[in-house]
Amino acid sequence: MAALSEEVLLVVKRVRQRKQDGTLYLMTERIAWGPEGKDRFTVSHLYADIRCQKISPDGKSKIQLQLVLHTGESTTFHFANESTALKDRDAAKDLLQQLLPKFKKKANKQLEEKNKMLQEDPVLFQLYKDLVVSQVISAEEFWASRLKLSSVEHSLSNNSKQEVGISAAFLADIRPQTDGCNGLKYNLTSDIIESIFKTYPAVKQKYAENVPHNLTEKEFWTRFFQSHYFHRDRINTGQQDIFSECAKQDEKGLKSMVVQGVKNPMVDLLSLEDKTLDEGYGSLTVGPNSSKTVKENSNSAIIKRFNHHSAMVLAAGLRKVDAPSDQASETSSTDGNSRDSDFFQPPIKKVKLQEAIEYEDLQNGSGPKTIALNLKKSDRYSHGPVPLQSHHYSTSQDIINSVNCIQEEISCYKPCLTRVMPSSAASSAITALSPGGLLMQAGTQQAVSQLVPTDVQSELKHLYTAAGELLRHFWSCFPVNTPFLEEKVVKMRSNLERFQSTKLRPFQEKIQREYLSTNVRLLLLVNL
Amino acid sequence: MKLNIEGLLVYFPYDYIYPEQYSYMLELKRTLDAKGHGVLEMPSGTGKTISLLSLIVAYQKAYPLEVTKLIYCSRTVPEIEKVVEELRKLMEFYTKETGEKNNFLALALSSRKNLCIHPEILHANIVVYSYHYLLDPKIADLVSKELAKKSVVVFDEAHNIDNVCIDSMSVNITRRTLDRCQTNVDTLQNTIQRIKETDAAKLREEYRRLVEGLKEANVARETDIYLSNPVLPDEVLQEAIPGSIRTAEHFVGFLKRFLEYLKARLRIHHVVQESSPQFLKDIYEKVCIDRKPLRFCAERLRSLLRTLEIADIADFSPITLISHFATLVSTYSKGFTIIIEPFEDKTPTIANPVLHFSCMDPSIAIKPVFERFQSVVITSGTLSPLDIYPRILDFRPVTMASFTMTLARTCLCPLIVGRGNDQVAMSSKFETREDFAVIRNYGNLLLEMSAIVPDGIVAFFTSYVYMENIVASWYEQGILENIQRNKLIFIETPDAAETSMALEKYQEACENGRGAILLSVARGKVSEGIDFVHHFGRAVIMFGVPYVYTQSRILKARLEYLRDQFQIRENDFLTFDAMRHAAQCVGRAIRGKTDYGLMIFADKRYARADKRGKLPRWIQEHISDGSLNLTIDETVQLSKHFLRQMAQPFRREDQLGLSLLTLEQLQSEEMLEKISQIAQQA
Repeated sequence: MAALSEEVLLVVKRVRQRKQDGTLYLMTERIAWGPEGKDRFTVSHLYADIRCQKISPDGKSKIQLQLVLHTGESTTFHFANESTALKDRDAAKDLLQQLLPKFKKKANKQLEEKNKMLQEDPVLFQLYKDLVVSQVISAEEFWASRLKLSSVEHSLSNNSKQEVGISAAFLADIRPQTDGCNGLKYNLTSDIIESIFKTYPAVKQKYAENVPHNLTEKEFWTRFFQSHYFHRDRINTGQQDIFSECAKQDEKGLKSMVVQGVKNPMVDLLSLEDKTLDEGYGSLTVGPNSSKTVKENSNSAIIKRFNHHSAMVLAAGLRKVDAPSDQASETSSTDGNSRDSDFFQPPIKKVKLQEAIEYEDLQNGSGPKTIALNLKKSDRYSHGPVPLQSHHYSTSQDIINSVNCIQEEISCYKPCLTRVMPSSAASSAITALSPGGLLMQAGTQQAVSQLVPTDVQSELKHLYTAAGELLRHFWSCFPVNTPFLEEKVVKMRSNLERFQSTKLRPFQEKIQREYLSTNVRLLLLVNL
Repeated sequence: MKLNIEGLLVYFPYDYIYPEQYSYMLELKRTLDAKGHGVLEMPSGTGKTISLLSLIVAYQKAYPLEVTKLIYCSRTVPEIEKVVEELRKLMEFYTKETGEKNNFLALALSSRKNLCIHPEILHANIVVYSYHYLLDPKIADLVSKELAKKSVVVFDEAHNIDNVCIDSMSVNITRRTLDRCQTNVDTLQNTIQRIKETDAAKLREEYRRLVEGLKEANVARETDIYLSNPVLPDEVLQEAIPGSIRTAEHFVGFLKRFLEYLKARLRIHHVVQESSPQFLKDIYEKVCIDRKPLRFCAERLRSLLRTLEIADIADFSPITLISHFATLVSTYSKGFTIIIEPFEDKTPTIANPVLHFSCMDPSIAIKPVFERFQSVVITSGTLSPLDIYPRILDFRPVTMASFTMTLARTCLCPLIVGRGNDQVAMSSKFETREDFAVIRNYGNLLLEMSAIVPDGIVAFFTSYVYMENIVASWYEQGILENIQRNKLIFIETPDAAETSMALEKYQEACENGRGAILLSVARGKVSEGIDFVHHFGRAVIMFGVPYVYTQSRILKARLEYLRDQFQIRENDFLTFDAMRHAAQCVGRAIRGKTDYGLMIFADKRYARADKRGKLPRWIQEHISDGSLNLTIDETVQLSKHFLRQMAQPFRREDQLGLSLLTLEQLQSEEMLEKISQIAQQA
């Protein structure tokens, strides 16, 4: 089974899997395990199928490595070589750590998409269960038409998958733990590392420059956490620090952002005032703050850092979206410039001014442009928070009062016999309203839904949609003008027949068995 | 729509109107009819500007002889631009409705780079510019002095007008100023020497003119053509320039002597505070400079600079500053104080002497405006208590009114948080502001709010130093980290460019749904000039009561003056000042009735009647007795409830007839009766 061309990157002996000793192989594209003494792999996973790896905590007696697959299954390996177990495990872990991300991107996107579609759409999921799981049609056939449809739909609704932004508190999430002997331990996940890289490109650059030529990954991050850069509020102790350059770059970035200025003139504090007071006038002239204490300096460094951090996090989230929006604003600016009357006003300014003076409720006409709500699970939406309503509670006194009131009214109630209906009219009205009566004919048709229990109803519904889906496949083959389509028609026909035999028949029989007496109309429906 | 405001046809460029806008126009018209001044407080975001413009333009069209010009003053450049935009809208509406071509000339002056051409200002029907063009004597003299008497002057966003007045009349002199003055004087001397050799006639001509005196100016003022200038007192106009400074050389010599005297005064080791008369006495005793030539100093320098045909006046700003100081100190024996400080309070070891010549009486700068123009309207969203403005600006208004905001749903939610969940009182007062528990509770409040308020939150601190300390403390306690889990954090810095960037990023973060918090400072640029409408500010948190820094000698002198001259107690004024800034901060979040926002006052002192009572009526009336001394938990509960209610759809039908009117609804008797109750006369 092992392909000859595969290069084996790592071999670890004495690895147990399901209480069986064996050997673990890490190859270029997959990880595999074979029991001792046998020449085949009982476990083999492509790297692309692996979602993540987990390792047992350091103190544990069993040294294990667990692979979690995209399907949700997991495989656990137990490193049993007493003397080198930890080393073996770490070697495997490190290698996997390098390999997995490479394959992560390649991971079957379609599979993910299919999975997502099924999760998001319960109807489709049911259909999938009815047709594919029960082997009426094959999965490929099921998806063949679906995916195209969905990909079109997807590209219409949102061009691509939305980028997930970065949590502003990602650095805070790295809680240092004391390791008991005067040291600190930081837990880094690949997500956090990604966040750091995305937010601080300078660090990423440093990483690329230094790892693994000068430093190991571990050393790199150790230095990162020790650095002045990470603890920005600390005043630089002057130690040689590879991150001091990052800090400088950040400073430069911040400055260039400031120099660039703001696009929105309404928030430009520099041109806020029509500054007419000359130097020397005014009552509260604050002198230049040349004399700042160390504490104040560190405080303002913290403030600067927060501003910068937030700006970077924001930018990291927007980087992809930025390009097209810039273009849009450029084109609009060229348009705007052609207006001769206010050509000296930049268009953004004009728009912002218009916005600022607008009172939407004073004006007739279309309200603000809203974005249509695109609901995937409409029931969740409609069962969401209910608007608060002020309930009118009646006090017990109210109730007593009204009871008294009613009693009083009843006590003086006198039937008005002259206005009572004759008995013949009353009985004819009752007949008309009874089942089968004149007025109840419409009612019997609704009765189907009341007479049949809901599970049968839903089964019927499922069958109906499934049949519809199959027929759609069937009819989509016409006109039959290629041999491929011809083949498909034949296949679909057999599919339909199979569907009838495996699904419809049993259902029909079941109905007949249970509801023979009640209604024939159902059968008609089913046989349709 | 076309409105009938007590017989005046007003074109209003919208299909609907807020009841308070109608009420506002009514009061405004009465002010104009009476040819008097007015103080009008109208909630922010109720369309004050368009109501003002609509009414006054209509008035001008109806009575072109009664009101010839509207002078609209606002504070910041964006505000001025907004006014122009609204005016444009109004004019377009006029053209559409009447079919006539618009013959109204409006002129906006904003920032010196597009400073206007002087004659145009005389012909414009409407002039829109910054306060300074009218209140700062140096600029008013250039730009505004010939504006017609029959103008209506509007000061919008006028809650800080007293400070603008004071700023425009106060002078600070440092060593650097004096050194640069020395250079100026040297340049003047050289130029005079040169001209004397080439064109002596020019100087003789100037001398002749000065003998004639400033009669021309006097004639103009007496015939009421000019706006008077506080730096050009009446006495100066009636007399000729004293002989001692009439020739150019003598005047330069005089300036030199004056400079030497000032330099000597700055060589001190302890703080000196004195009145104008004391200063004059001292200068006479030391260097024999009389009061009279000092008084002519500003005018004499102006004349000299003109005669010498100096192109770049900006180079001579230091000597101009000194000349203004000379004239002011010799003209006003009251309303100013001189404080000479040898060093900054924070750094007693570094000598940095400053002479503060502080104006303590805002009425001096604004007096000419009230005297000259027939109607001056002071308006803003926050002018409470109304009666204090006529007192400190020394004028008698014919109308004083505060308007409420009619609301179909209560879209503002003021809450006073007095305690943390641990029951420790929250306050920024001096004794407890460094208290660990207070800082932590403030942090918890922000943290809790960041978890429940959507989009943007703006928090204001009482001062920059206080904010720095709290931010550092929150950072150490890990509170900021936790806040970051909910929202991005942006912080105002003393650098305007940096803050602008932070602001833009803040808006971006609100816009894209991430949500953000802006930490900012009351009295800072953000609190005075930036609106946080809709999702840019769903909650404003005011940490503490923003009292002004009371240790400053200048402030102490001003407080004393207020007490002696206007019988305003120090505490009353300080509280008034703090509350107007607090109201400004929280008012930033509400613009219009479709907007909504929480206003959280995080200091137990807000619950006291003397504080609360100084908030604008439209905020005050929504503070219930139950929301006076809340804990953080209670605040969170009330806020959640409020936000949930506000998140429900709000349609025009909900408002119509209550807080939004059609023309027909406006005309009903019942509605007019209701409207008459909106304005509360002070």
